[in-house]
Amino acid sequence: MTDQLVQFSDALATRVEFAKPTVVALRLAHERHVSGIVWRPDAIIASEQSLPERDEFEVVTAGGAVTTAKVAGRDSSTNIAVLRVQAPLASSSITTSEAHAGAIVIAIGADGTGGASARLGVVNTAGPEWHSSRGGLIDRRIALDVRLARSEEGGPIFDAAGNCIGMSTFGPRGQVLVIPTATIDRIVPTLLKDGRVARGWLGVTLQAVAVPGALRETGDQSSGLMVMSVVENGPAAQAGIVAGDIILSVDRTSTQRFRKIARYFGSESIGRKVELRVIRSGSVITVKTTIAERPVA
Amino acid sequence: MSVAASKVVTLEQLRVAISAPDSLRRETLRRFVVEGGHIVVSDRDFADVILSDGDPPSSEVRPTVALGGTDHESFGLLPRDANARQIDAALRAVAVGLIVRPSDATDIGFGSMPEGDIDALLTPRELEVLSAIADGDTNKTIARRLNISLHTVKFHVESVFRKLGARTRTEAVTKASERRRKNTITL
Repeated sequence: MTDQLVQFSDALATRVEFAKPTVVALRLAHERHVSGIVWRPDAIIASEQSLPERDEFEVVTAGGAVTTAKVAGRDSSTNIAVLRVQAPLASSSITTSEAHAGAIVIAIGADGTGGASARLGVVNTAGPEWHSSRGGLIDRRIALDVRLARSEEGGPIFDAAGNCIGMSTFGPRGQVLVIPTATIDRIVPTLLKDGRVARGWLGVTLQAVAVPGALRETGDQSSGLMVMSVVENGPAAQAGIVAGDIILSVDRTSTQRFRKIARYFGSESIGRKVELRVIRSGSVITVKTTIAERPVA
Repeated sequence: MSVAASKVVTLEQLRVAISAPDSLRRETLRRFVVEGGHIVVSDRDFADVILSDGDPPSSEVRPTVALGGTDHESFGLLPRDANARQIDAALRAVAVGLIVRPSDATDIGFGSMPEGDIDALLTPRELEVLSAIADGDTNKTIARRLNISLHTVKFHVESVFRKLGARTRTEAVTKASERRRKNTITL
């Protein structure tokens, strides 16, 4: 009878073998690649931040065959990129699952020659939804205690039952985060259809400032967002917003909380007529404008 | 200072290879390197250090300073807009086997939206005073520049120091730039 450690080891190796067809290498340069997941037979997903701006990539699929994939869309706000392949790829179908703190996970990466690399760890934290610095909504905050090589970013994360909980992504300080499957399921169809996830846009760079003492009462707010720069011909510029203006609210949403105001600028906000409450040269005024769509960077 | 100690500060001249696809950018970096007292070499094989705009190829094994790089395993990582002094310090550090990261290295990677500390935000006037401090202006010059009294300038400077928890003008400027990054969004 084999002992439990050998059984555990064999079980892991079996899981990795099973996961192998779900992972591909996206070549960046000679002997340099990142990982991607065969999300559907015709679509690969990868970590957006890991992919240079290019129209297509060479893909090394399980077993070592090389094909080409065209970038179908990318969304830096959720860090998801989708690539289309011409001939459907053979892959194990991915079943998805939720993450729980403490649960064992296997992080899979592509080794660049058609094989898989593996890492073992646990879910370090599994928290509520969060907003990325680029304004995207991520359905859950999942951090792992796994270390990853750069070439492994974008690979799938599996739980002990072999279900996929999401895609690996480097967070701040090299911490490994997971873009949950729920977020991927939500974003991928939009990216395949439109090539991007639309976001609302005013065309301003803003910095949080304290409202000067005298204006706190009139403005009814202790802080606001001061306009540092205005994009030429953007919605804010057309409404006459100038650098130095302090925006207190957009419609009735106060600008005191970044996350709240970022949420207000989702794709549904495009075309919405809004009223900005602004402090300009010592008085509070109201400026009307229409939210436009953020141009592709 | 003893003679032995002063010898330590003798600055070494490094051979630096620059890797930047954009020619204008390459020229700027070349100037930075030369101003730092180093020699720019075209052949990487003769370089002590590589200065790379963006990530270098992963096959690169020589000490590298990557501007705007994202490779966590790289020796030197600086923001893309690093200044000449930072680049010089980083080149010297990686050349002797140290690892360099900016103090706000948390910016690298997919992070969450900052929720600025709204309690100790600076007022627009305080930001003006701070940018004058960053330019190296004295209180007197600031008073003239902003057309306010010296007394008012001192009042603002004290308030800036208190809000930022800074003890010196240099510290105030450094802390404010970290904060600006956290307190800025585009809409």
